[in-house]
Amino acid sequence: MPTNSKTADPWAYTDIVKDHFLNPRNFIMGDETKWQADGEGIVGNPVCGDQMLVKIRVKDNKIDDIGWKTYGCASAIASTSALSELAKGRTLDDADHITAKEICDFLGGLPEHKFHCSVLGHQALHKAIQNYKSKL
Amino acid sequence: MIYFDTSATTPLLPEVRDRMIELMNRSVAGELGNPSSLHTPGSRAKFELIRAREQVAQLIEARPLELIFTSGGSESNNTVVRTFENCPIFVSAIEHPSVLAPAEAFGKPCIKIPVDKQGIINLGFFKTNLEKLVKENPKQKILVSVQLANNEVGTIEPVKEIANIIKNIKQETKAKIYLHTDATQAVGKIPVSAKDLGVDYLTFTSHKLGGPVGIAALYVKTGAPMKPLIFGGAQENKRRAGTSNVLLASGFGVACEIAKDAIENYGKVKNVRDYLINEIKNKIETTIIITPQKSLPNVLNVSFPAAEGESTQLYLDLENIAVSTGSACASGDLEPSHVIMAMYHDAEIAHGSVRFSLGLNTSKQDIDELMTKLPNIVAKIQDLSTLNKETQNANK
Repeated sequence: MPTNSKTADPWAYTDIVKDHFLNPRNFIMGDETKWQADGEGIVGNPVCGDQMLVKIRVKDNKIDDIGWKTYGCASAIASTSALSELAKGRTLDDADHITAKEICDFLGGLPEHKFHCSVLGHQALHKAIQNYKSKL
Repeated sequence: MIYFDTSATTPLLPEVRDRMIELMNRSVAGELGNPSSLHTPGSRAKFELIRAREQVAQLIEARPLELIFTSGGSESNNTVVRTFENCPIFVSAIEHPSVLAPAEAFGKPCIKIPVDKQGIINLGFFKTNLEKLVKENPKQKILVSVQLANNEVGTIEPVKEIANIIKNIKQETKAKIYLHTDATQAVGKIPVSAKDLGVDYLTFTSHKLGGPVGIAALYVKTGAPMKPLIFGGAQENKRRAGTSNVLLASGFGVACEIAKDAIENYGKVKNVRDYLINEIKNKIETTIIITPQKSLPNVLNVSFPAAEGESTQLYLDLENIAVSTGSACASGDLEPSHVIMAMYHDAEIAHGSVRFSLGLNTSKQDIDELMTKLPNIVAKIQDLSTLNKETQNANK
């Protein structure tokens, strides 16, 4: 865990990351299989230490609701939470264009070594959108 | 703050601080010189260095001249391994990186001894392979380096039995086999005698027993080969160049003197540790207890399934509780703990691991305080997780 030398705060994360880690938005409490969805996608691998599941409900070609589960570190949890905030209410095409950088910027930045391994939520969302479209 | 990370470093003992401040004051006053100098300030410093060496040697029942002061456990370990450059080197699969990395780089070959789920090395594998090597080439030097106690899980290795296996082979073949043990985590927690163990080299360090960081010792049995890692001046009997660090050595010496008497108190620490095991078993049912029975009295490593360790660590930090984890995210190289991987061959268990390392001051009240937070934290992370109980049940 790298230390923030400016503040002597042991957290290498920004306050926004910390907030999303401690108070994750839109995550599915309890059994996610009971969360009815129009599309779902899962990425990552527990062997690598990170896995994200994203489920979406679609209305009028927009993401009406989004729910998720994440196995992983603080950065993985916060970035999936951030993705859910970014995606909610957007059109499918618009939401499908959310990038890792956009998630990272939303969170006020992430430690370099975390960026590549833990920001995967947008890929799970992409799979969820494809999953939804494949059922049409 | 409740500090459950003494295996990483122990708080400095107040007696050590006082001694070091006393020496610093004498240095400010110009009373202490370079211990290699022949004048009076030099002799005063030399006297302090000799006293420190005696105190450190006593803790492991060695002779003072068998001890070399180094900058840390990593330097001690590297010194031993580099002495056997291009020789066969046996190491346990769960050695500290400061043994593993140089052994992999300089051993020809580096042979890793596998461990079981308790973390105990496979003595049969070791004996068979050692006999085979000796038979192939009876004249080559061989190093065996097995830690006395593991730093992540606390397992105590059968070093004395390893020494006996080596002794028997040497009696039959006159092979040149040498034994090193990294006793960094063990010294100060359990009685350690270099002579009793039958080792040729032994590493231990100051900051794991209440002394300052930046100094450690390497025991080299009289007659065992030893190649300096740092060449230059004649300090440390020409075995480690560089101006002797009298200040840190004195702090280390005081810490060792106190540690010698404090070892018996680790019985109480073990009781508190065992209380923690029971509390966790009762209140977080899914927990895998990784630390085996035969372990250091102050270490408990557990794995909470579906709860990634860095998340657990950070949630606990917010509650002013300091622990350590074997998760990949917490390490610099993004690889999960090689120790837990060697024991369980399961990345999820390694990612979910959390180490609690207790100190002489850890009380049952500290455990009770921890247990008011820990079950909820683990439950919350498990609920967030794709690997939670419901998912696992649904997948069955």
